[in-house]
Amino acid sequence: MTEDKRTELKMGRDRSKPLLQVENLVKYFPVRAGVFRRVVDYVKAVDDVSFEIYPRETLGLVGESGCGKTTVGMTLLRLHETTSGRIIIEGKDTTYYFMPFFRARKYLKETYVNRFNDLKEKAGSVNSAIESLENEFDKKIARQYFEKHNGSSSDFMKEMMSKREEKRKAFRREAQIIFQDPYSSLNPRMRVKNIIAEGAIIHKLATRKEALKKAADLLKTVGLSSEHMSRFPHEFSGGQRQRIGIARALVLNPDIIVADEAVSALDVSIQAQVLNILNDLQERFGLTFLFIAHDLAVIRHVSDRIAVMYLGKIVELASKDDIFAKPLHPYTVSLMSAIPIPDPEKKSKRIVLKGDVPSPINPPSGCRFHTRCPIAKEICSKEEPPLVEMEDGHKVACHFAGEMKR
Amino acid sequence: MNNNNNNKKPLLSVKELRTYFHTEDGIVKAVDGVSFEVYPGETLGIVGESGCGKSVTALSIMRLLDEKGEIAGGEIEFDDMDVLATPENKMRTLRGNEMAMIFQEPMTALNPVYTVGDQIMEAILLHQDVNEKKARELATDMLRKVGIPEPEKRIDEYPHELSGGMRQRAMIAMSLSCNPKLLFADEPTTALDVTIQAQILELMKELQDEYGMSIIMITHDLGVIAEVTDRVVVMYAGKVVEYADVHTLFKEPRHPYSWGLMNAIPRLDEEKEKLYNIPGVVPDPLDFPEGCRFNTRCPFATDKCKTEEPPLEEVEEKHFAACWHIDKLLEEIKRIREGESA
Repeated sequence: MTEDKRTELKMGRDRSKPLLQVENLVKYFPVRAGVFRRVVDYVKAVDDVSFEIYPRETLGLVGESGCGKTTVGMTLLRLHETTSGRIIIEGKDTTYYFMPFFRARKYLKETYVNRFNDLKEKAGSVNSAIESLENEFDKKIARQYFEKHNGSSSDFMKEMMSKREEKRKAFRREAQIIFQDPYSSLNPRMRVKNIIAEGAIIHKLATRKEALKKAADLLKTVGLSSEHMSRFPHEFSGGQRQRIGIARALVLNPDIIVADEAVSALDVSIQAQVLNILNDLQERFGLTFLFIAHDLAVIRHVSDRIAVMYLGKIVELASKDDIFAKPLHPYTVSLMSAIPIPDPEKKSKRIVLKGDVPSPINPPSGCRFHTRCPIAKEICSKEEPPLVEMEDGHKVACHFAGEMKR
Repeated sequence: MNNNNNNKKPLLSVKELRTYFHTEDGIVKAVDGVSFEVYPGETLGIVGESGCGKSVTALSIMRLLDEKGEIAGGEIEFDDMDVLATPENKMRTLRGNEMAMIFQEPMTALNPVYTVGDQIMEAILLHQDVNEKKARELATDMLRKVGIPEPEKRIDEYPHELSGGMRQRAMIAMSLSCNPKLLFADEPTTALDVTIQAQILELMKELQDEYGMSIIMITHDLGVIAEVTDRVVVMYAGKVVEYADVHTLFKEPRHPYSWGLMNAIPRLDEEKEKLYNIPGVVPDPLDFPEGCRFNTRCPFATDKCKTEEPPLEEVEEKHFAACWHIDKLLEEIKRIREGESA
């Protein structure tokens, strides 16, 4: 597909249908100890996180260090394997693409085949089984299973498991990342032109000559000039390197870009330059961003919707305007009040949270925030509040949502 | 805290300080003619981007430069004492006792093989005439004051057993254990999460009210500056470009760099369509531009800026700025304000 066509396709997508759906994502990292490196515990980095991202929007993911925001991004891109949960991109289940063969089969069997068969048994007929599914995506797969493959699990599995290598490649083309540290994320032994063009050449989107021409164009797009093409990363400043990182992410013209703390290592004047570039690029190429950052002011500037994470969970998810006009979760309220505002006339009334973030190995019972929450009551340490929609599109996980005022 | 410094004598006065580093590639003029005063009980902010010389200024005042660094000129007067003429053994009694410092990264500033208590007691034993038992008592009290729970137990823990926020509290306890007159805080909250940053800033304010020391707050974060300082020095490429009290600076910046910086940061309290772009990058310290060092990035730069260096002049009462074209900046601000109201 040519360049313009891809951009056109991205521009033409219906913004009311999610481009990316993350369902009940869980990622545990084993903690090993002893002579035999036995698994003694798990770091529950991401624990049941669900969200959607719509075409051409920016979802901001904000939280303090150790809340799991980076792990969400990494798992989404399958730089970490999922522990459980489902990641659907553009109506395709991508969860099993990168799993080892037998694990992928097991995943498909458990997620689809067994579940559908049970449903069919319970509901009596194929049609009512399909009808009973709530998720549009599940319905689609169920039809594929029952109608196309006549409920034959081996045929179904064969289709799903076929061409996994190609599917992986397509996935890598569609989802790209911009890293936090512009110093360690560029290969010091490669010239800038090769760093940028490498992706296009590997994915056979262009000949080497075309790819290099494209790299030169992209360098201009991100505010560098083509004379920088033959230099090495160490010849650039932090801000310029971050631009090179952006150009590299753009060379495949991806659908989704995960920007993981993309500006937090930069000085303020350079940070503004990079944020402005990202904004322009989104409009020009129809990009969809998952923007991960700890700086709520940066998040406010770039995002359309914002998800606030605390200790592996999303505690609040809403549009930017809603969350700033009316934050409902006490953590969100405290986070906003903790940030010093660069205006001495507006000295804010601070809500200073007590204590530190607890360990994700052994998170508190009930609501994970209850140990630091200024309005916690007895129920909070016992029952975990689910993430529920309080108002239109404004989700929050708190027993006393909206009760804490700024 | 106090804006009335008219009749007070400054605790610290720095005049035309120049600190050069002799590197293999040439001389780096990290601090090049910096002047300011700190009055008793106030907080002075030094703000600027990385490489502007703000940390080197602090290290020069404490005379903690490494062998490559050299104070090439200027005067530093601290509490009626000429710091640059003070012999090294006298400096040692001064550091930790009269002036103390807290650093950005508490894990590297604390010694990992000694307990927190040992390190605080070391400072106390060195500077105060007390025995070990009393020093331990004082250290425990100090840890309690900085809000470390169970100080009797924590005093025997090693730095790695504490969280980032707790380590920074321990650092503060150490630096305040001898009740210094001047505290340097070099990016004390940059490595911390915002909720922990709020705790630490709050703590520093409380302690300042209690002990009445002066603080020099070095940071790149304009939010922190607005929150805790009384007066501010804005630095760029080794020079002071603007120097004013905090309210004046934020309301009426007179240097294009300060103005640009304020408009370049995304704000939590208001929506900005587009961030102001300060074009280009901070110049190479080996090769600062001629004339005004900001001329390569300044929207108002003229030929004069490229050849003649603007002096730091009093533009209004107690408001200093180093720029040839303050009138142009004022016009621009006026134009923008009119555009907004129209």
